[in-house]
Amino acid sequence: MTEDSPEAPGTTALYVYAVCRADGGPALDGVSGVARGEPVRTLPLGSLTAIVQTVRAAEFTDEAWQERLTDEPELERYARAHHEVVSVVAAQAPTVPLPLATLYTAEDRAGLVLGNESARFHTALERIAHHAEWGVKVYAADSPGEDGDETARQPCTPGTPEDRGRPAPGAGRAYLERRRNLRARHERQREDSLRVAETVDTQVCRLAKASRRLRPHGPGTADGHRLQVLNATYLVADHRAAELELLVKDLRERTGAGIELSGPWVPYSFVGEV
Amino acid sequence: MTHDAVPWDRPGALSGPIGVPLVDLLDRVLATGVVVSGDLVIAIADVPLVRVSLHALLSSVGERVPAPWADSGPL
Repeated sequence: MTEDSPEAPGTTALYVYAVCRADGGPALDGVSGVARGEPVRTLPLGSLTAIVQTVRAAEFTDEAWQERLTDEPELERYARAHHEVVSVVAAQAPTVPLPLATLYTAEDRAGLVLGNESARFHTALERIAHHAEWGVKVYAADSPGEDGDETARQPCTPGTPEDRGRPAPGAGRAYLERRRNLRARHERQREDSLRVAETVDTQVCRLAKASRRLRPHGPGTADGHRLQVLNATYLVADHRAAELELLVKDLRERTGAGIELSGPWVPYSFVGEV
Repeated sequence: MTHDAVPWDRPGALSGPIGVPLVDLLDRVLATGVVVSGDLVIAIADVPLVRVSLHALLSSVGERVPAPWADSGPL
């Protein structure tokens, strides 16, 4: 059980943001992190350095996170604070970011666990050095809407009172045909967009060192009005970044699809598989 | 309609905490390949928990629009 005395074990925890090489410990001035009052600092781990902050354990319980994950402004605050620390460190040296809310019960625990993984950290650091992550999202081309099959549409003449409720002969069949055409067109558009997504992924993969597919964002997100058919992320060497931008521009022109490029990101998505 | 790279707050740097869209940020800070496990994070950012909660928050994959791929990412 958690006690209220600040000295009691368990009332504080160590939040770890990232790990980088020990040489050239990063400057962390002006970085506030996820908790107020306690500085973001370095924790030496032999050949590595962890970027850490002491936080109140009560703010990082299961329940606290359950609540936070449904409170968007709060979640955003934490995510951005985490990202800020990671970004500041990564701007100075190759950095392995840890997931949001990686915590240890005490400094020696963090030292022990992270120290045991130092070989993997070094592998990850080598892999991402001089590389950045770039996100590529593809959106289906805008649907032309419900028109385009005007020929099948019955002229809409106001009926006499006797006509009301008695559609002209053939109206039902025309309606069904219209529905069928519409569905077929939507299906075609969907298949076309998926094909474009595959093309984009294949082309970008050619200049990337590694790639990952993230889950496409559904309706309800910022871009909810557009259908996202690819949400992928790529590890790209720094010297090929300009090439990537040209490729995306070219793909946009060739396919007509909405293609968004974001980056450079700290290689969050490419540090786990080592 | 042109979609340029999502504008970073400070162009060119690996440091755009303000300009980064939240949804893209969460894709990364929550789903980043886990290198190590933390003491508390096991119960907190355990993948199923994150998946469920993010689904509620972002409706990452809506019922009406199934994910185009069966295996489409770590979230």
